[in-house]
Amino acid sequence: MSWGPGFFYYRCPSCGKKFMYAQDLMVEFGADYGKCPFCGTMGEYVKDGPRGLDDAEYFEVEE
Amino acid sequence: MAKKTIITVAPTGAWPKKANNPNVPMTPSEIADEIYDCWQAGAAIAHLHMRDDQGNGTMDTAKFEETLRLFRERYPDCDIILNLTTSGDIHADDDIRVAHVIKLKPEMASYDCGSMNWLNSGLFLNTPQFLERCGLLFQELNVKPEIEAFDPGMIANAAYYLKKGVLKAPLHFQFCMGCANGIPGSMKNLLFMKETMEQLCPGSTWSTFGVGHCALEMLYGAVALGGHIRVGMEDNVMYGKGQLADSNRQFVERAARVIREYGNEVATPDEAREILGLKK
Ligand SMILES: [Zn+2]
Repeated sequence: MSWGPGFFYYRCPSCGKKFMYAQDLMVEFGADYGKCPFCGTMGEYVKDGPRGLDDAEYFEVEE
Repeated sequence: MAKKTIITVAPTGAWPKKANNPNVPMTPSEIADEIYDCWQAGAAIAHLHMRDDQGNGTMDTAKFEETLRLFRERYPDCDIILNLTTSGDIHADDDIRVAHVIKLKPEMASYDCGSMNWLNSGLFLNTPQFLERCGLLFQELNVKPEIEAFDPGMIANAAYYLKKGVLKAPLHFQFCMGCANGIPGSMKNLLFMKETMEQLCPGSTWSTFGVGHCALEMLYGAVALGGHIRVGMEDNVMYGKGQLADSNRQFVERAARVIREYGNEVATPDEAREILGLKK
C-alpha cells in the first residue's frame, strides 16, 4: 500500500498567494522550503496532507 | 542473454480518487479492463487494491472476487500474475485482511513487513501476530509474499521471519521509496536498501517504486542496479510535472521503453514466474 507524496500547504503573509510544497522535496529546497515562490517571504502553514480536492487553489512549487 | 526486468503495475491503490485523477480505475469492471491493457503493454504482475462504492479503500472479499471473475471472463488469454494486497484499508481487521487470500489463492499477495504512521495521520499496523499468521498462511496456500519494505528496518524484520521459518527463501522485496514517513527516494537510499537486503537476506529478488518526484529516479535506478520495477496510479497520479496520467498503460509503456533502451528485456509473466520461483 502506498499513498502518493504528502504536501505542506502555505499562504504568503506578504502577497497573500497560496502555494504547496511536496514533502519529498525538503532536501532539494533546504532552507528555502516553504518560501513564497512569488515574493520570497516564508509562508504561513495552512495544513498538510496528501493531494487534496482544493489543490487547484495552491501553486505547486517544484523548482 | 539480455537480463529480464519485471514490470508490476499497481493501477488503483487505496487512496487516489477520481477527483485526484479521473483515470484511476475504481470498480471491478474498470480494474479488470486496466489489468488487461497493462499486460498488453508489458506488465507481468498486477498488484490489486479494491474500492467500496464510495471509492474508499476496502478489503471486501466480494470486490476482489468480482474483479477476478470479470477479468477471467473477459480475458481468458491473459496470463498476468495477480498479486492481491493485504493492506487496502487501515481500519480492516486481521481476519478481513487475509480472507480474500484464503478464498482466491492468488499467486502473490503483499506482506508489509512492519508498522508505521500513515501520512502523519493514522497507524498502519502490521503486528507481529499478523505477520506470523500471514507468513505461515502464505506458505500453506503457496502464495508468494511481495515483501513491502518502507525502510531498512523492515528488511531486518523480514530476515527475522526468515530465520524463524515464518517466511521461506528466496524472498521477493518491494522497496517502497519516497512515501511519507518511509525512506526518502534517492539513489543512495535505493542502493542502501539493496545492500541491506543482500546482507540480511542473500539470494532475494527485489523491485522498487518511487512515489512523487523520485518516481523516475527509482525507475532508472531499478534498471541500472538489476532490480525490477513497479509503476502505476497507486503510487503516482501525475505522469510528469503538471501532467495527470492518462492511464496506467502510459506508465507501463514508459517503463518498458526504459528497460529496452537500457538493453534489458521486459519479462513476460512466465519469465517472471521463473525469476520469482512461482509454481503456476
Ligand atoms: Zn508572497
